[in-house]
Amino acid sequence: MKQNPEYLINEMSPQLHRGPDWLKAMRRSNRLGFNESKLPPRGIHLWRYTDPRKFMLAVDQARDSDFAGECDTVASTETEHVKKGRLAAFVTDLGGRDINVLVSPKGLPNGVTICSLSDASEKHFDLIREHLYQLINRKTGKFEAMNGALWNDGIFIHVPDNQIIEKPIHLLREAGRENSAAFPRLVVIVGRNSEITLIDEYGGGSPDRSNGISFSNGAVEIFGAEDSRTRYVSLQRYAPAMNSYFTHRAKLKQNASMLTIPLVFGGELCKQSFGVELAGEGASSKMYGLLFGTGRQHFDNHTLHHHSAGKTNSDIDFKVVLKDRALSAYTGLIRIDNKARTCEAYQENRNLLLNKGTRAETIPELEILNEDVSCSHGATLGSIDEESIFYLNARGIDKSTAVRMIVGGFVQSTLKLVPDDLKERLSEFVATRLEAI
Amino acid sequence: MSDKSPLLEFNDVHVEVEGKEVVKGVSLKIYPGETHAIMGPNGSGKSSLSNALMGHPLYTITKGEAFIKGESILKMKADERSRAGLFLAFQYPLAVPGVSVANFLRAALKSHRGEEADMSDYRGLLKKEMAALSIDPSFATRYLNDGFSGGEKKRIEILQMSILNPAMALLDETDSGLDIDALKTVSEGINRYQDETKGLLLVTHYQRLLNYVKPQHVHVMAAGKFVKSGGPELALKLEDEGYDWIVNNSAVGA
Ligand SMILES: Nc1ncnc2c1ncn2[C@@H]1O[C@H](COP(=O)(O)OP(=O)(O)OP(=O)(O)O)[C@@H](O)[C@H]1O
Ligand SMILES: [Mg+2]
Repeated sequence: MKQNPEYLINEMSPQLHRGPDWLKAMRRSNRLGFNESKLPPRGIHLWRYTDPRKFMLAVDQARDSDFAGECDTVASTETEHVKKGRLAAFVTDLGGRDINVLVSPKGLPNGVTICSLSDASEKHFDLIREHLYQLINRKTGKFEAMNGALWNDGIFIHVPDNQIIEKPIHLLREAGRENSAAFPRLVVIVGRNSEITLIDEYGGGSPDRSNGISFSNGAVEIFGAEDSRTRYVSLQRYAPAMNSYFTHRAKLKQNASMLTIPLVFGGELCKQSFGVELAGEGASSKMYGLLFGTGRQHFDNHTLHHHSAGKTNSDIDFKVVLKDRALSAYTGLIRIDNKARTCEAYQENRNLLLNKGTRAETIPELEILNEDVSCSHGATLGSIDEESIFYLNARGIDKSTAVRMIVGGFVQSTLKLVPDDLKERLSEFVATRLEAI
Repeated sequence: MSDKSPLLEFNDVHVEVEGKEVVKGVSLKIYPGETHAIMGPNGSGKSSLSNALMGHPLYTITKGEAFIKGESILKMKADERSRAGLFLAFQYPLAVPGVSVANFLRAALKSHRGEEADMSDYRGLLKKEMAALSIDPSFATRYLNDGFSGGEKKRIEILQMSILNPAMALLDETDSGLDIDALKTVSEGINRYQDETKGLLLVTHYQRLLNYVKPQHVHVMAAGKFVKSGGPELALKLEDEGYDWIVNNSAVGA
């Protein structure tokens, strides 16, 4: 698919006509939001490193497409894991067309809903109306409006108050192959004093550029009520010829806590934004990201911690490992409102460059509108230190093993936070990327 | 002893670091069963010599020869020297974040043996050696030297030596930073390691280590050269009188 920089969403796109009237109106409004806005200018900080035209389409809708084999492999192991009770549920989302929910034989706690967004728009219309498009809509940006208009079906998860889901819920979102476009969407509502762990995995896409690229534009909205505890892991392992755009927004009420783990491995071009608003006193958000780029992969990540209430705290540690000619740009924004007193906000971006020819950019942004805060940010950028390699060599360990161990050590603190169900696969992702060293 | 061949031998070794010659022609032979000590003022080149022998990329041997068990090491990389039987306990051990002590040593052992150690054998060995050095078992899962105190790092260096069990060990100021009890435990560890097949070279500033680990030979290094060698009594004299009497009487200019 060749992108058309002048691309407009056609009025006749079938997605625009899905759902109840309210939803149709929202979709139409998002369509206008997209069609009537210009491409973001390259001078604006968030677009300095990535060409927005890469996220435009040529055609209106995703063409029907096969799905990659890895999807089946993951699906069959995870189906087993659900049966054995290692997962609370496993949900597959095939290109936004087919949402399938498999629940552990132990069942889910009382009142928990996991279903497609289209089912939810009928059975839980009030919740949908109250939450869908609340955090990501036409005002968020042009490409957010694009998803807002064109998402076909998505996933809805609602945990009522005082319910703890002990095992993770795994969502597998599979994009189609070459020349397809996917618009995954997710809404998660975590009730008061409830707890949830989500693994949100994105795979598929075109394996080979010469047959055409694939495209994905995703949106995730998460609501954490008072005293809720949410762990959200996003795993991006798209095929090599995928251009992906992804927006994540969460809003936390009083004493809610959230751990967000962006794991970024795949695709040719990947622009993502992870944002949490700390909107109630005592709320706390941690984001521990890990990106591993090889070949000519291009990554552009943003994080946003917006403290709109006092006595909130946030912490970010975004780690990047780059090899070959991979590029990573990271922009981390901490915004603390004037009324949000006594906040703590920390941010760190560490980049490990395994060879010359890689490139990492790091842009911290602070918008701190009161003095009563404790805030720090830092970034490091560099290759593996020769002294460390020598230390391992002096114990008989050869150079390439030493490099693998040191990189493994660098990513370890993030990997150890990942739910057990995912750990082994992740170590493999890292290991395969280190094999060629 | 001359019927055996030396474990470590170096002749007229010169070492350069950052374009500066800091070791200016030193020679030594260490035979199986022998313990040698090198003493000398700060900055005299003791660590530079040790690092260069181990194959540190910053410290180059510009002149002279060095052998482990009769095999020239000058063309060997550091990992090859280690596998050939040389061990260096560092004066300032580095931290390796994210790599646990247990995993680190397991990888080191694998590279020495050429195969993965059996997991339960390895656990047993690690547990036993840690207990012998009074290292708390929780250190096995801590990241190597990450946040360890000075003394803890030194103990972990000796743990590494005990596990790898090299033929020839250089211990660069392993005693500094140790409290009195730790000094005793670590010295016992060194003595357990040492036998008639092993060679030991201690770099130290203090007689107190030598009270436990007894060298047969003591060498004084000053300004990049060995300026005096003698028996254990030399260390005692240095403890009392310092280095002035040797450094001033020798031909070496600082
Ligand atoms: N990496 C380096 N870069 C520059 N100079 C160095 C480096 N390492 C050692 N030197 C210099 O080489 C000389 C010898 O240092 P070395 O560390 O070998 O001394 P030492 O005898 O071990 O001293 P100490 O007893 O204090 O440990 C010193 O002048 C030191 O500054
Ligand atoms: Mg020294």
